[in-house]
Amino acid sequence: MRVSLNEIKQYINGELPPVDELVKRINEQLGGVEDVIDFGDIYKDAVIVRVVSCGKHPNADKLHVCLVDDAGVVEDVARNEDGYVKVVCGAPNVHADMFAVWLPPKAVVPSTYHDDEPFILGARELRGEMSNGMLASPKELGLGDSHEGILELDPDEWKPTSVDIKAGTSFAQAYGLDDKIIDIENKMFTHRPDLFGQLGVAREIAGITGKKFVSPDWYKDSPKFSNGSGLDLTVSNDASDVVPRFMAVAVKDLTVKPSPTWLQAELVRLGGKPINNIVDVTNYVMLLTAQPTHAYDYDKLRGHKLGTRMATKGETAELLNGKTYELSESDIVIVDGEGIVGLGGIMGGGNSEVSNETKNVVLEVANFDMYAIRKSSMRHGLFTDAVTRFNKGQSALQNPYVLDLLLKSVLDVAGGTQASEIEDKHAGLAEKISVTVHPDFINARLGLNFDSEQIETLLENVEFTVEEDSGSLRFTAPFWRTDIELPEDVVEEVGRLYGFDKLPRELPHRSIAPAPLDPKLQTKRLIRTSLKRSGANEVLTYSFVHRKLLEKAGQDDSEAFGLSNALSPDLQYYRLSLLPSLLDKVHPNIKNGFDEFVLYELGKGHHKQDVDEQGLPNETELLELVYASKRGGDGAPFYKVRRVIDQFFADTGIDVTYKTITKPLNYPGASVFEQSRSALVLTKSGQTLGIIGELKQSVRQGFKLPDTVAAASLSLALLHEAREAAGNAYVPLSRFPAISQDISLAVANDVSYADVFATAQEAVGQDADESLRLTLSPVSIYRADESDTKTITLRLNVVSYEKTLTDNDVKSLIKRISQSAKLALKAETI
Amino acid sequence: MKNDDIVASVRTELLAQYETLEQKSDILKAPELKELFARIPTLEPRERAAFGQAINALSVELKAMVAAESGNEKELEPIDVTAPFDTNASRPDLLPSDQGTIHPLSQEIAQLSDIFNRMGFMIEESREIDDQYHMFETLNFPAGHPARDDYDTFMTVEKDKDGHPWIAPAHTSTMQNRVLKKYRQNLEKGEAIAAVVPDRVFRNEDLDARHEHTFYQLEGVYVSKDVHAGMLVATLQKFLEEYYGRALDVRVNPYYFPFTEPSFEFSLSCPFCNQKGCKVCSHEGWIELLGCGMIHPSVLKAADIDPGVYTGFAWGVGVDRLVMMKNGIEDVRHFHSAKLDFLRQF
Repeated sequence: MRVSLNEIKQYINGELPPVDELVKRINEQLGGVEDVIDFGDIYKDAVIVRVVSCGKHPNADKLHVCLVDDAGVVEDVARNEDGYVKVVCGAPNVHADMFAVWLPPKAVVPSTYHDDEPFILGARELRGEMSNGMLASPKELGLGDSHEGILELDPDEWKPTSVDIKAGTSFAQAYGLDDKIIDIENKMFTHRPDLFGQLGVAREIAGITGKKFVSPDWYKDSPKFSNGSGLDLTVSNDASDVVPRFMAVAVKDLTVKPSPTWLQAELVRLGGKPINNIVDVTNYVMLLTAQPTHAYDYDKLRGHKLGTRMATKGETAELLNGKTYELSESDIVIVDGEGIVGLGGIMGGGNSEVSNETKNVVLEVANFDMYAIRKSSMRHGLFTDAVTRFNKGQSALQNPYVLDLLLKSVLDVAGGTQASEIEDKHAGLAEKISVTVHPDFINARLGLNFDSEQIETLLENVEFTVEEDSGSLRFTAPFWRTDIELPEDVVEEVGRLYGFDKLPRELPHRSIAPAPLDPKLQTKRLIRTSLKRSGANEVLTYSFVHRKLLEKAGQDDSEAFGLSNALSPDLQYYRLSLLPSLLDKVHPNIKNGFDEFVLYELGKGHHKQDVDEQGLPNETELLELVYASKRGGDGAPFYKVRRVIDQFFADTGIDVTYKTITKPLNYPGASVFEQSRSALVLTKSGQTLGIIGELKQSVRQGFKLPDTVAAASLSLALLHEAREAAGNAYVPLSRFPAISQDISLAVANDVSYADVFATAQEAVGQDADESLRLTLSPVSIYRADESDTKTITLRLNVVSYEKTLTDNDVKSLIKRISQSAKLALKAETI
Repeated sequence: MKNDDIVASVRTELLAQYETLEQKSDILKAPELKELFARIPTLEPRERAAFGQAINALSVELKAMVAAESGNEKELEPIDVTAPFDTNASRPDLLPSDQGTIHPLSQEIAQLSDIFNRMGFMIEESREIDDQYHMFETLNFPAGHPARDDYDTFMTVEKDKDGHPWIAPAHTSTMQNRVLKKYRQNLEKGEAIAAVVPDRVFRNEDLDARHEHTFYQLEGVYVSKDVHAGMLVATLQKFLEEYYGRALDVRVNPYYFPFTEPSFEFSLSCPFCNQKGCKVCSHEGWIELLGCGMIHPSVLKAADIDPGVYTGFAWGVGVDRLVMMKNGIEDVRHFHSAKLDFLRQF
C-alpha cells in the first residue's frame, strides 16, 4: 500500500514527526514499512518558467527558439543580459507568456529516472542555436502518455498546495511532488479494508501519533444529493446476495480531456497512471477512500440500463485488458440492456469504456461480497486494484459518501451536469457495530492500568464513538470499519494505538514443579546419540515421493496417499516408508566420493488403509537406515548393519533376537529386502520391532546401489516401548579374577549360530552355581571350502564372587556344553 | 452380500482375468481391486479392519503371482542371520564415530526444546497429514477466507468423511487445538497450558535457495489466567536471550493472523552484529523472526476453554532460518539434500 506523506498531511491537524520517526511509529503500530521512496528527488531539478519570447528557429521549420525566465534560480547556466535562458523547443503549443516546466542542463528527465541509464540533459547546439536543457512534455515528466506538446501550467487552476505558479518556482513543490512515499506491507491490512485508501491510513497515523483525527466533511456528513434529470437510466440489482449495494448516477454533457496537472501529479505519486479526467477521477477517489468506483460511457449502455446479475455458464466477457474470459454461475457480472459490460468488482468491460468521444457517463459505486470476488479473481487470475480492496470486505455504508465525492469531482474536472436521480439498490445493510467492554478486560489483556478516559481518547482519535455504560464502555465503530466485532478487537485497537512495545514486559509466574520430559523424545535422542557414535549420518528427506521411487522400491502407489496440487512431479505421493528416499540418496553420495557410510532417518510413513476410528490417517513412525560401501568388506553387508543396530540395542539395554524370515512379508516397508538374507528383529517377548537385511537385486539396480549394501527398518513406537521395558543391565564386579576358555563346535552348515549359542547357554545355565557369573561370547565361525560343516568357537568367561576359580572349574562347564551340543545338534567338539 | 463374500467374488473374477492378461502386472491395476479399497471408508469403523485385511491378503496374493511370473532375480545364497558376523569373517567394526552426525535441524530442535522445557513448556509433536478442521477451522479461518490463500497447502487426492481433501499442514498450529484440549485440565488445577510443538511443515512452493516446500517450525502456546500481551513479548525475549546467550532488544509490529488477536510480527535486535549492520540482518540491525499474538477467543472456545476466564498467547518460529542465520548456510535446499559433505560439517 503506497502512502503519500503529502497526501495524508492534508488530513491531519498539526505537525507529524520527521519521516524517520514516523516510519518507526508506523512499523511499530500500524504495519511493516517495506520502502520509503523519495519522490521529490525525481523532480528536484524541474523548475517552473515563464516563456518570455518564442521565435522561429532560423534553420529549422518545426523548432522554436525561446527565452525563458526562471527568476535566476538555476545556477551554472548561460544567460543573456536580461538573465533569461535560451531553450530550443519543438512543441507546437509553445508560445510566449506561457508557464512551462523547464528541465535545465544536468537535470535527469523524470520519465527516465528509474531506467538503468537515466537521461541527463546538457547544453547543446540544435541546428546552430544553443539549447539549455528542455521544456518538458507531460510524458517526459512521467505524467501519462501525452507527448503532443509541452506541459502548459495554468496559474489560476485549483490545486491542493498554496504555492504560486510563477517563474522560478519548484515544479515539485507547486504540485506536491516533493513527496515521500511510504510503502506499507499489504498483508498487515488483510482485515482492514479501510486502510487501502489514503484517508484511512491518515486516520491511523493520527491515531498512533496521539492526534485527534477528523474526517473531511464529505466523508463525515451524510451526503445531500441533488435531483437530476435529462438521461434515462434504469438500474437493477439481481445479485443482491453477493452485491449488498449498487449505486449509480448519470452525468451528461461533460468533456473528456487530460486531467488537471494537480490530479495527474496526485495519481502518479500514488502509483497510478493518468489516462483522462474521468478515469483519473474514479481511480483517485478509490486511492483516497479505498472504495473502487467505475465510469461507463452512457451512450454505449444498450437500453440505458445498468444492473448486476450472476453470469450463466459459458457466457463470455471481454474486459478492459482486451482479453476474453469464460464465465461460470459464480461470477458476478455488470450488464446493460443486452449483455455483459463488466466483471463485477474486478474489471470493467471493453464495450462500455469511456473514450475521448464520450459525452455522457454513468458512475457506479458498488459493494461486493469479498468471498465471491476472491473466488472469481482466483479462477480468472485477475488481480486488480479493485480486487485488492473488495476482497478485504469493504463497508457498504460508505458508498453514498464516495458516490457524492465522485460525482462532485467529475463535475469539477469534466463539467457537465447530473442527469439522473441517485440510484441505490441494496438489500438489508449491515448496522454499525457496538461492542461493550469493561476497562478491566482491556487492562488485563494488555497489562495496563488505563482509566476510561485514556481508553476513550485513544479510540476517539480514530473516530470511534465511546459511551460510558454502567462502568463499562460501549464502543461504536465508525461506518468504514468492518473488523470490530469482539471485545478482543477493542483490546487490539487500544494496544496498537497506545503502542504494543510500551506494554509492561513481565514473565508469567509458574510453579517450581519441573516440566515433564517427553519419554518418546528421549528415545529419539538416544537413537541419534547411539547412531552418531556408530558413525552414522542422520538425514532428512521429503515426506513426498515421485511414483518412480515407489516403483523402484517395489511398493504399490495405490496404497499411498496422492497429492492433487503439487507444483513439482517429484511430490506425487506421501511415502509409505522412508527407505526409498534414503536409497535414492546413496548413489549421489558415492559419486561425490564417499566410499562407505550409514544414512538414517527418523520419519513417518502413511498408508491409505491405515486410518484411526475417526478416519484420520495413522502415522507410522519409523527408524530406517542404509549402509553402503563401494569397497566391499569382510563378510556380508547384513552383518555390518546388524553391528550398528546391535550397538544401539546395547546402548539402550534392549534385548533382541534375529529371526530368519520363513514366510514372505507383505508390508510396504519390507518390499526392498532380499528375504533370504534378512532377519526379523524380535524382542525377548516376541514383539517384532522390524526387519534388517540385504536388498533385492532389482532394488540395487533401480537405485544404482553398490553390491555392498544393507538396510534396516524399525518401528519407532515399538523401539520406544522396548526401551521403556528394558531393565538395568548392570552386573556387580567380583573381587576375584575371571577365567576364560574357548570351545569349538563343528556343526552341519544348516545349523544356525543361534541354536549353537542357545544350546551352550542352556548347558552352562542349568543349575548354575549362584556365586558364579558366566558369560558366553562368539569368537569365530569358520568353514573350510566346500565343507559340509562349520566350526563355531565360543568363549566362556567365568568369575566367582566367592573364590578364585581353577581351570578345572571351567573344564566341567565346557564339558557340559560339549555334551549338550553333541546331543542336541550332533556337534563335534574340536 | 457379506463383506467376506464381496472379496471372495472379486478374487474369483480377478483370477479369471489374470489368465487372459498379456501383461500380467496389469492385474494389480484392475478397477475391481480399486473399488474394494474405495469401499473401506463407507463401512462401519468396526468392520473396516477385517475388510482391509481381506483386501490386503488378496492384493498380496496377486502381487506374489506377478512376482513369480517375472521372478528372474538372481538367487543369493541365504545367510545365517542369527550369527553376529559372517562365516570366515571377523566381527565387523563400526564406522569411525567421528564421521557420525546428527542433522543440524534435529540438533537445533533439541536445543530449542531444551530451553522451552526448562522454562516449563511441554514438547509435543505435529502431524504430516491432517484434516482441514485442525489446520483451519479450529484456528478461526472460515471456509473461503482469503487468509487461507496465504498458506499454499498441499492437498491429497483422497478425501475425508466430509469430502474434503486431507492436507499437509502448512504450520504446526495445526496441533494447537489438540494441545489445548490435551492439557485443558491443567487450567482446572490452577496451572498453565504451556507447550511447544517443533516439527515438519509444508508449503506448496517452487524450490530455490531461499524457498523450501518442507521446513520446520516451532509452535508455542501458553494459556492461563491473567495472561497479557506484555507477557508474550517478555517470554519470547527471555527465550531468545537464552538461545543467543546475550541480552537482546525486541520489538513487535502489529500484524494479522486469523487465530490471534492482537497479532504481531516479532523482531529482535541482530545478535550477530550488535545492530551495527551485517549480512544476516540486511544491515537493518533488526531481524524479523516470527509471528505471534494473543490466542483468538474462537480458538480457545474451539478447545472448550472459556476466553472470558483464560487468556493466552501463541507463536510460530521457523527453525531452518535460525540454523541458516547461525551458520551462514547459503541454500535452504541443503537441509533435505542428504549431502554428506553438508551433513558432516555439523
